[in-house]
Amino acid sequence: MHIPDGILPASVCIAGYAIAAPFAWYSLRQINRLKDPTEELPKASLLTAAFFIASSINIPVPPSSVHLVLNGLLGSILGYFAFPAILVGLFFQAIMFGHGGLTTLGIDAVMMGVPALVAHHIFQLRHAFRQKLGEKLATNVFAFLAGAMGLGLSAVIFFFLVITNIPSGFDAQTEQAAVYGLTLAHLPLMLIEGTFTLLLVAFLQRVKPELIERRG
Amino acid sequence: MRFELDEYAYLDSPLHRWEPRFKLIGLLVLIFAFAFIKDLRLVPVVLAIATTLYSLSRMPLSFLISRLRYPGFFLLGVILLLPFLSGETVIWQWGVLTLRQEGVLAMLLVVGRFLAIMTTALILMGTTPFLTTVKTMRSLGLPSLIADMTLLTYRYLYDIAANLSTMQQAMRLRGYGTSTRKNLPFVPDLRELGLLASLAGTLFVRSYEQSERIYKAMRLRGYGSEKFKVHPVYAGSTPSSATLRTWSGVGLVCTLLVATGLVVAEIL
Repeated sequence: MHIPDGILPASVCIAGYAIAAPFAWYSLRQINRLKDPTEELPKASLLTAAFFIASSINIPVPPSSVHLVLNGLLGSILGYFAFPAILVGLFFQAIMFGHGGLTTLGIDAVMMGVPALVAHHIFQLRHAFRQKLGEKLATNVFAFLAGAMGLGLSAVIFFFLVITNIPSGFDAQTEQAAVYGLTLAHLPLMLIEGTFTLLLVAFLQRVKPELIERRG
Repeated sequence: MRFELDEYAYLDSPLHRWEPRFKLIGLLVLIFAFAFIKDLRLVPVVLAIATTLYSLSRMPLSFLISRLRYPGFFLLGVILLLPFLSGETVIWQWGVLTLRQEGVLAMLLVVGRFLAIMTTALILMGTTPFLTTVKTMRSLGLPSLIADMTLLTYRYLYDIAANLSTMQQAMRLRGYGTSTRKNLPFVPDLRELGLLASLAGTLFVRSYEQSERIYKAMRLRGYGSEKFKVHPVYAGSTPSSATLRTWSGVGLVCTLLVATGLVVAEIL
């Protein structure tokens, strides 16, 4: 789910960088407030590489298969490191595979990174519901919501941007119907992404709980 | 291990010799000027500029074609969908298939801009070693945290990919993927999803544990002190570097003039 070069006009690409900049600045400010940011840096970098590689895993959905976006999971685990991690990941995808692009790096970072930050806050809500739901259930519920919302928000932004900016003769009503239709078509994918995030967080909670307790 | 994009980064051409900071600024401005055009008459111009720059770089055509393989699916989608779905002026009809003029023009614009930007971006990244590119971005204001993250991610990307490949092979050797169970269409098997979540989770745990060892090794080598930061690149002060800087400056001015010319032509 990346917008390639050439599809959006330059004004939108520049606006993308302008919107991404404050999010990057805010994330870096939060990271620099950590006790020792340099200690977290190698962890965030290797996890960024691992996310980048893990997103290439094929999930069989008969009769075909899908790739997961994992931005909700990235936000849940990396916290504020998620935004720079997404910038770095998108940069590599653009220059190595031509997936996305340099002009659309800002807009793609907003599309993937802002939902990742939202997912981080959704996942943090589990602490507030720990007493009511119990630790395990609260973690599972909010992991699912973080994963599903990460993808859902990205899908809404993606289709809105592509359909409203593509140089075409679509009228406003067709554009609106297309955005709704394509977003609804992503509901099953949101369920898969949410379930995968839930299962992965449950695995990490069993095997390496400190990974999901880290604060970005 | 060598980064794929560094394959032709050590050739000798005017673009390889171009001072990295001037090249980065010049080509990025040119890329955004390409994205700015909406007039179809300018599409052949931007394609000609990108082709000229690519031939000046002396990189083989096969390299460009190999980089276009993945985005080719996007191009195919644009070519197959836009002319038939977008616009009102029908120029050809056969049954339910209707070719529309606005869609064809939009397709030509998107494909033209895409090819020109993609080619120029490849020249930018392919004619400079990756480490130099990151140092150059650092000298132009990229925060040190992002520069360090980029270099560390780049360093371990292939290791982690090899790790995943080994784990996937181990899964297959233990029988994964040989199940003959029939699943409902569009419904993933929950057990299979759990296995793949464990696979990704193991990859994260291994990477996390490796990062702890790397951090300790980096600290022992002085990481965190000013001396070990990714320092920006600046041109030297020898006579040959002065000549290089002059020619690089000329290159930058020419590129900026071309980019300005395109924007002015588009506005007029």
